[in-house]
Amino acid sequence: MLILIGLLALLAVAMVVAGSVGAVPVRPRAIVSMLIHGLFGGSASGTSVDETIVFQIRLPRVIAAALVGAALSVAGVLFQGLFRNPMADPYVIGSQGGAALGATIGILLLPHFSFLGFGATATLAFLGSVLAMVLVYWLARVGGRTPIVGLLLAGFALSTLLSSSTVFFMFIGPQTDTALRALTSWLHGTVAVAGWDQILAVAAMVLVGILCSLPLARMLNALSLGEEYAEQLGIPIEWSRAAIILVGSLLTSGAVSVGGLIGFVGLIVPHFCRLLLGPEHLRLIPVSALCGATFLVLADTLARTVIAPSELPVGILTAFIGGPAFLYLLRRTKREYVG
Amino acid sequence: MSRMLEFSSVTFSYNGATLFGGITLGVEEGARVALVGANGSGKTTLLKLAAGLLRPVEGSVSFQGRDLRSVPRRELARQMAYVPQQMVAPFDFTVRQIVEQGRTPHLKMMGSFRQRDREAVESAMEAAAVTSLANRVYNRLSGGEQQRVKIAVALAQEPKLLLLDEPTQHLDIGRQAEILELLADLNRRGVTMVAAIHDLYAVHWYFPSMILLHLDRKLVQGETEVILQQETIERAFGIHARVPSGQIARSLQIAKGPQNFYGTNQTVDQGN
Repeated sequence: MLILIGLLALLAVAMVVAGSVGAVPVRPRAIVSMLIHGLFGGSASGTSVDETIVFQIRLPRVIAAALVGAALSVAGVLFQGLFRNPMADPYVIGSQGGAALGATIGILLLPHFSFLGFGATATLAFLGSVLAMVLVYWLARVGGRTPIVGLLLAGFALSTLLSSSTVFFMFIGPQTDTALRALTSWLHGTVAVAGWDQILAVAAMVLVGILCSLPLARMLNALSLGEEYAEQLGIPIEWSRAAIILVGSLLTSGAVSVGGLIGFVGLIVPHFCRLLLGPEHLRLIPVSALCGATFLVLADTLARTVIAPSELPVGILTAFIGGPAFLYLLRRTKREYVG
Repeated sequence: MSRMLEFSSVTFSYNGATLFGGITLGVEEGARVALVGANGSGKTTLLKLAAGLLRPVEGSVSFQGRDLRSVPRRELARQMAYVPQQMVAPFDFTVRQIVEQGRTPHLKMMGSFRQRDREAVESAMEAAAVTSLANRVYNRLSGGEQQRVKIAVALAQEPKLLLLDEPTQHLDIGRQAEILELLADLNRRGVTMVAAIHDLYAVHWYFPSMILLHLDRKLVQGETEVILQQETIERAFGIHARVPSGQIARSLQIAKGPQNFYGTNQTVDQGN
């Protein structure tokens, strides 16, 4: 519990720092005072220009980055437990690719569709991820086991197919400026939010997803020891598999609908957290959520400042860190259990 | 009183090939039964059928008089435990974290560990002599230690019936003896068990009764002393045409009868 409070504080600090950095620097203390006044009324100490920058531009982006980071990390934890493999990153195994394709179709073909308050983008992203996961699961499993090679190859082939399809839809779709810009950013992985409405929708998806993954912790622990073994421990296997895929896809699609294809967050963060606290899932899930949020807030801040005034897509940055981490894991797991 | 475990004309096939055609067997409460048979004779399949992890194509498997198909998975996991031949953890769980999973069937989905669960975990670790390993990482233990951890998980389930798939495989004789003594001790405390065992010497010493699986899918069940006869063993393992050496010779010595093996001065006919 103490560690969760500590990580939460760390996330808050990271978010304030992220809000203060940029073309127009705003002092962290001013941000805190603006937040306090914004929430509890009264007049803020900052100028109105600062306030506009913080509330309309930076804060939405920082919050979005935190949500995306948390969602991808927890989705990584879920898929890694399901596939019994620390390399099952939602990007690598095609979950994000499926969500991106779904979102693209939603944006281009059904811009006005709405289901329970969620637009076609989010709904189709969710369906895209679920379908991709069911497909990968079905393709990669051999006799109750998921060999690493099969999983990675199936994930790779599917991801490639899905991102090509996404580009295909961009070319045949109505090439309006906004739509194209949004889609391009998805493919590179940039946290870009249209406004507070979108944040609320995504926040709902991500928070529900994280809450729903907590009761799955015990199943994930048992599944880590093997499906048959989990079954002898009384875990309903079919049901658990379905629940993990659905919740993981909900988180992935929430992340993808604002962040696009940001790779490897779901790989680096859970791995780091396991090194820190061990693999027990009831602890791993909330810790990964908070570490993932902090990680992506900082990464996104770095991405938009490192080559200022241009912005680097944060997906490029996470790939720079995550790619080598992935290769390192590949090298290590190869020794431990091939196939 | 109903039997602990009963197979009634169980037929099982996998990918079109019939593994068992109508086998019948029964395990009484409190029994300690060795499951013996050549590689590929279906020992693991039989254990998985008993654990309800595989379903018979025809016939039925019942546990305490109830057809396994009608017993909910969770309830079953509180009464019987299956210890697989191999258990690989992809992540670095500690021994305690692994043993705690044995409580899974006793916990509600979101329910946390109570005093009762903690006690069960502690006494399971103690019984399996893994308390000193509690904070070690399971993946980095030796084969014998891992074997004991797997048994500890099963004990944390507090089962009435324990099904073990080759619990002494790949262990040196000292570690084998440890595991066998542990099992015998658990059995004396009331746990019924069926264990697949390769070493006939261990079967003879530690298991009063046995099930012998023939390569042709027939099985014989009964007292170890009666079944462990040279001809029976030779038929089951298909070794009649070969000159026995090493392990086989030693096993056949047992099969000839205990008096040959335990220090009498009769010479042993090696079966040729």
